[in-house]
Amino acid sequence: MSVFITSSGHFLPGPPISNDQMEPLLGLVHGKPSRLKRRILQSNGIKTRHYAIDANHNTTISNAGMAAKAAEHCLSTSFLGKRQIKMLSAATSQGDVVLPGFGSMLQAELGLRDIELHSSHGICSSSMMALKAAYTNLLAGEQPNALVVASELTSRLFKASRYEAAGSALDFNAEFLRWMLSDGAGALLLENQPRDKCFRVDWIRSFSHADAYPVCMSVGYPGNNSDSRSWQDYATYAEAEAAGALLIRQDVRLLENIVKLGVDGYLRLISEGRVQPAKVDHVLCHYSSHYFRGKIFDMMQRAGVGIAEHKWYSNLYQRGNTGCASIFIMLDEFRRSQPHQAGDTILCMVPESGRFNNAYMQLTVVEA
Amino acid sequence: MTEPVLSPQGQQCLQALMRVWFEFERQLGRVPLLQRLDRGQFSKADYCQLLLNWRQQVIEGSRWISRCASSFDRDYSDVRSVIIGHAREEHRDYEMLEQDYVAAGGTLADIQTAARNIGTEALHGFLMYRASQSNPVDLVGAMWIIEGLGQKMASDWAEQIDKATGGDGSFTRFMRYHGANDDDHLQKLYQLLDRLCQSPAQLAAIVRTARVTARLYCLQLEEVDNEY
Repeated sequence: MSVFITSSGHFLPGPPISNDQMEPLLGLVHGKPSRLKRRILQSNGIKTRHYAIDANHNTTISNAGMAAKAAEHCLSTSFLGKRQIKMLSAATSQGDVVLPGFGSMLQAELGLRDIELHSSHGICSSSMMALKAAYTNLLAGEQPNALVVASELTSRLFKASRYEAAGSALDFNAEFLRWMLSDGAGALLLENQPRDKCFRVDWIRSFSHADAYPVCMSVGYPGNNSDSRSWQDYATYAEAEAAGALLIRQDVRLLENIVKLGVDGYLRLISEGRVQPAKVDHVLCHYSSHYFRGKIFDMMQRAGVGIAEHKWYSNLYQRGNTGCASIFIMLDEFRRSQPHQAGDTILCMVPESGRFNNAYMQLTVVEA
Repeated sequence: MTEPVLSPQGQQCLQALMRVWFEFERQLGRVPLLQRLDRGQFSKADYCQLLLNWRQQVIEGSRWISRCASSFDRDYSDVRSVIIGHAREEHRDYEMLEQDYVAAGGTLADIQTAARNIGTEALHGFLMYRASQSNPVDLVGAMWIIEGLGQKMASDWAEQIDKATGGDGSFTRFMRYHGANDDDHLQKLYQLLDRLCQSPAQLAAIVRTARVTARLYCLQLEEVDNEY
């Protein structure tokens, strides 16, 4: 039994937003322009991105709404109609509501009937975990198809008013992701049979290292390291917000570990015989920043298992870093715009910095 | 990276050593003392305790390196030269460590008379045993771990320790010093790898010694918290 990605789709809200347009849209914190913005944007290399909020900070489309648009885009170029979909596997780092699961909200938005449901929670790698759940479901013969959707609406966390509510001091770790992340959704359709030119899933593997590393990216802790309370431990949510416990943070000092762990997993897969560097034709790596691309590339090169630069594809610079949706949005655009032929091997990598979960997938282009 | 490891065998060895290193970093991430350092809940007393334990291994370090050099026979005279140079450069490092200990508030007599902890005993014993074998090619694996740790100290720990203890760099000189010659040391190590890893058996021996060294180094750090 093999599993195939027979269609894909994406949704990016609103027009592309340039680097100069970002701050007017997200707002000046305490009326002052950011002093970090330029440096962070220079390092991540992102030129345009999309937001599901407008300059008045109204949400223009919900997270589930974006996910549904991406799913519909995916189905619109597939052999299946909504009625034939048997499973929905959904991922996001933060749904529109705390409960119920994102998958339930998306199912309702899409109007899918009687499906088997899975919601995956995490950060960038949650889409790969959702994909793996669907993939194994098909491999086990439980379902003939599954729609896998990943969507992110993080811009709501970046409104100037959020930072102002957390008091006067805006530390680097709390501001960092404001200039990194943006909104969007991607979708893949999995089937147990190939259709036209499509991708066979050879394997999906992930290695998580949360036991050995502190939290690197979070929402829910106050900035102060010695205070281990969660946002839910405060008497009121207002107090949690005032303490900065609702800000999204990246511990930048720990971030470099992502490079080593990304390469570590890659070397493991090579020694298991799953990856043969010389046979890889396309690399789709979800790196959060151009800065890390170079680092990963160099370390692979140094280990003698590098993959030529022209084989690397990314749309990070135009579509932004959309967290867990990135890899699906990338794969969708690759499929629609980049030359590839039957027999080509595609290696996908998603190193996540949340608490260091690294996911990998190999696809082979097939022609039915 | 200017000049990567070139031979296929050397490259395979490098890949395996990188994995051992990554695993070692995860082991370090589970050591309670280092977890406290990560959280910034690390006092000057913790630091002194760390140096007190560490010194006993650093001062023995020059012994195994020197013995390792003398165990290489005429076929490896080039390797012997490189290792003697390395031993010469580092054989008095412990003095800087002792000065840091005193600058951080410790008493010189205490650090000079302290015993080796359990992990240090094991690590020292293992390295001396390996260094006494004829042509101890595998010890390049131990150098890999110890060199890597030097870089980690310089790039991560020194700063974290100063931050947590309100230091200004004046008592983390030993740790910082190890960052200064990184590239040069790494380059020499790559050359050694290429020279010493020429068969699958040598590769396996190098990787195994790297693994054992990493585990025993961790044990040494775990033991810093234990007082008997």
